[in-house]
Amino acid sequence: MILFEFDHERPNTPDEAVALLTHAGPDARLLAGGTDLIPNMRYRTVTPALLVSLGAIQPEAPREEKDGSLRLDALAKLVTIENSALVRKRAPMLAESAHTVAGNQIRQMGTLGGNLCQDTRCLYFNQQHDFQFVAPCYKRGGDCCYPFPRNDKSTCWSVFMSDIAPALIALKAEIEIQGEQGLRRQPLEALYAGDGLKPHKLGQAELLRAVIVPPASPRQGWGYHKESVRGGLEFGMAILAATVTLAADSKACEGARLALGAVREAPVRLTETEKAMAGQALDAERIAEIAEAASQEVNPLPHHGFTKAHLRDVIRIQMRRLLARAVERAVNPNA
Amino acid sequence: MYERPVSGLEAKTKSRSRVIVLSVNGETHEVMVRPRHRLIDVIRDQLNLTGTKDGCQSGTCGACTVLLNGRPVLACLTLAVDCDGKEVRTIEGLAENGQLNKVQEAFLDQGAIQCGFCTPGMVMSATALLDDNPKPSRHQIDKALEGNLCRCTGYNAIVDAVLQASGQGGVKPVMK
Ligand SMILES: Cc1cc2nc3c(=O)[nH]c(=O)nc-3n(C[C@H](O)[C@H](O)[C@H](O)COP(=O)(O)OP(=O)(O)OC[C@H]3O[C@@H](n4cnc5c(N)ncnc54)[C@H](O)[C@@H]3O)c2cc1C
Ligand code: SF4
Ligand code: FES
Ligand code: FES
Repeated sequence: MILFEFDHERPNTPDEAVALLTHAGPDARLLAGGTDLIPNMRYRTVTPALLVSLGAIQPEAPREEKDGSLRLDALAKLVTIENSALVRKRAPMLAESAHTVAGNQIRQMGTLGGNLCQDTRCLYFNQQHDFQFVAPCYKRGGDCCYPFPRNDKSTCWSVFMSDIAPALIALKAEIEIQGEQGLRRQPLEALYAGDGLKPHKLGQAELLRAVIVPPASPRQGWGYHKESVRGGLEFGMAILAATVTLAADSKACEGARLALGAVREAPVRLTETEKAMAGQALDAERIAEIAEAASQEVNPLPHHGFTKAHLRDVIRIQMRRLLARAVERAVNPNA
Repeated sequence: MYERPVSGLEAKTKSRSRVIVLSVNGETHEVMVRPRHRLIDVIRDQLNLTGTKDGCQSGTCGACTVLLNGRPVLACLTLAVDCDGKEVRTIEGLAENGQLNKVQEAFLDQGAIQCGFCTPGMVMSATALLDDNPKPSRHQIDKALEGNLCRCTGYNAIVDAVLQASGQGGVKPVMK
């Protein structure tokens, strides 16, 4: 049982869901698979008065649009993304990132939209608080921060741990948002505020409708890695995703997109490192330098017991490996 | 501003409760639930099917795994109101005519049960796996069971049991 009362609506269409959210005001929340929201409600870190369940709305299957881009319904379950033959063919990195999320049951329940809109996490936040006799932290409306005790700026440095967001950002994905004013489209990066207290820039009555992945350019390769301790049913320590596009000679780098997850309040794009890669011949030595630069461009937040130095090492080493893999795939797409 | 429903008597008169229809192990039940009730609350406390375990209540252990319309889901993170009209199968519903299903038999043969708390969830996950993929590899079994935590067995006997149930070698001699 969840330890407080709330109400529940089950609209049949996204329009009805938006109307309900508009009518109900800020005490209402969307409920998709519930795998992020229900644990937070159990802990009473989130206490909505109304849940607007998206459970009655049937998601569309992944499909290819006329311009060759891939369109994914935000309500699609993660198992659908992971197992769809179309996604595996057109955006294998996306299928792989969905496959690394949690365990099978959570991928059966959890949705793409819920994954991208999940709350940030912190060891001192995501737990039962009833038996603790400590003051609430900033994110729970209090006036302190446990992992950063000298933090007197009311800043929350919880981290955003979606496995899928970095992959989609490296793939240059866009999202479609539905609100009272109708649909709008924007790059996925623009969804994230970089604020641990309010990580998303979604309006109160807005919902994520779809994710659109543009067609891959020729000679584009990808690399993805989720670093974790156990390697199963675990949030990432650091999540790394990259796409690399080679010039016609299959040697020089024409363009790259590098994204990291779990190390800041929002997914991080390494734009400086990306710029430095342009025009470079990506041999082993150069890749090692780029990986070093990548680990220096980000300022990782220590989280869940991992130190900044350790996270930097992980980023440097894994970035080197996955860039090498991306180049391999760019040269030979069947690699 | 949305007005929060109130608990206690007042709430009862306002009647935020609703009746849902669930098919559980082939039997149809009408149950009265409030939005705050999860599927596991209905299964254990209203239908008295206590085979499904309430472990971590936060999605991390898999002890509460049931099949909802044939898919393995966590009953601790599913709201009962969202299950109206759906079909639920629990560990109590696997045996047919008093005969355990092949996954259950294999768990017994392989000694894949110690304290038994994880077993119902493990068996449900393994049954769902074999429905999808009748001949899984060891790696595919590991991956399918990754959401089910066992504090006792060390997992090897469990994976052996799923291999046996899929007809790929019954590893250990059967104890009688
Ligand atoms: C044990 C455990 C392990 C996990 N491991 C991982 C992991 O390894 N990697 C990972 O990335 N995640 C992990 N998660 C987090 C989460 O369960 C998944 O990311 C899942 O995809 C969330 O989707 P959902 O549909 O269940 O979201 P919900 O819980 O339903 O929603 C999450 C949030 O998003 C909002 N929301 C949902 N849908 C929409 C929409 N369409 N538009 C706007 N807002 C929306 C909700 O209001 C809510 O605030 C884990 C969770 C658990 C319990
Ligand atoms: S980082 Fe955020 S969630 Fe964690 S203790 Fe500090 S304020 Fe709270
Ligand atoms: S009780 Fe549901 S996952 Fe642990
Ligand atoms: S047998 Fe005890 S938890 Fe698995």
